[in-house]
Amino acid sequence: MTAQARAARLLRWYPRGWRDRYGAEFTELLIADLADQPRSWRRAADVARAGLLARLSRAGLGGQPLGPADQVTASLACLGGALAVFLAFGTMVWSQLVIGWQWAPPGSRATTVAVLVMSAALGLFLILATLAAAPVGWYLARAAARPGAGRLARPGTLATFSAAVLIIGGRHVQNGWPGTGGHAWPHQGLVPGGAAAFGWAATLWISSYWAHPAALLALPAAQIAWMAVTPAALAGLAAGLIMIVRRLGLPARVLQYQARLGAVATAVMGAFLTGAACWVLAGGPGPENLFRPGAIDVLALVMMALALAASGQALRRAWPAAQP
Amino acid sequence: MADEAAVPAGALGTFGRYAGPATLILSSLADGAKHGYALTKDILSFAGMRLAPGTLYEALTRLEAQGLIEPLPSEDRRRPYQLTPAGAAALQAHLRAQRQIAEVGLRRLAGHWGTA
Repeated sequence: MTAQARAARLLRWYPRGWRDRYGAEFTELLIADLADQPRSWRRAADVARAGLLARLSRAGLGGQPLGPADQVTASLACLGGALAVFLAFGTMVWSQLVIGWQWAPPGSRATTVAVLVMSAALGLFLILATLAAAPVGWYLARAAARPGAGRLARPGTLATFSAAVLIIGGRHVQNGWPGTGGHAWPHQGLVPGGAAAFGWAATLWISSYWAHPAALLALPAAQIAWMAVTPAALAGLAAGLIMIVRRLGLPARVLQYQARLGAVATAVMGAFLTGAACWVLAGGPGPENLFRPGAIDVLALVMMALALAASGQALRRAWPAAQP
Repeated sequence: MADEAAVPAGALGTFGRYAGPATLILSSLADGAKHGYALTKDILSFAGMRLAPGTLYEALTRLEAQGLIEPLPSEDRRRPYQLTPAGAAALQAHLRAQRQIAEVGLRRLAGHWGTA
């Protein structure tokens, strides 16, 4: 492999924006350095570390601070991504508990409190999402009516298509399984049966079946396809919305407002995670083993904790930059 | 004691763990503009330390973002950087602070160990 090709390979550690600005000169430095020291794991490790830090910096999570507006936008986008991961795993945990509640209320106080806390937290997330979406929708409508709206077309299409797949597919799957509310007593549950069933259908892909291929292949093909499509649709929806927000170039006061909502959302994530941990650690199985936590729930706790940590880090970066 | 008063951090004090590479780069640029490889060679010659490419450019991007250095037009694909007036002032403040620390350390060594 030529020095040019090796330098080009090392350069791929860096994000595109960084490569656009520094790529040519950095490649020249790497080629000269490769001539001095043809083999060096220290150089490879150093470039990988610096490149990943540059990526973290562009994502608003660490490294070199960006300009105030870019920092807030990047950090809030990262917070939004972390929140999407958190909600996916949180909804998986929550939906199985509220579906269980439709069959019989929890037998332990810990599970009861945990489900109530998680349900209240999800309600707060909905309120926060509405509050966050209102100004974004306003600026989106204004931008769509102006020249240059084409830059919003691709993320808009991605988000709309992904949301359509999730809603139509989720509604279809939720109605295909009687355990999610198709029985005679959905009215006695904690939340409307349809909401619980949709949450279950949208997070069916978070499953221990992936670790048991033989059992997975025994499922209906349509269900396996749905389990494969859902994470892509969720990722597409989150990515589309994040790209829209980043491309809108929201004014400073709106970014400050969104940072405040992000702080509240992070606190609500903490409350939800506490509730979920309370159930996993102290809840117990309840009647008919309806509320027994499994390995997948422990994995969900870990993922939610990681998402909360990423969210907190993003908020720490966004908050000072958002202050007037 | 007045001569042992706390040393102000200066502009480079905000660089944290990048202060070392930043000081080396600014010191190298103090006698004129240099591109990345020339910086590496110069720093190796006066400090005996080879800055790895990733570390060098991490520090360069920070210094540029803070207005302490500025890029010049590219020579072929190599881009030289030069010190700005703010960079010169920051380097001077930082080196003076370092010198003050060094003098205190050397004086104490001489007083207690007789080795300075």
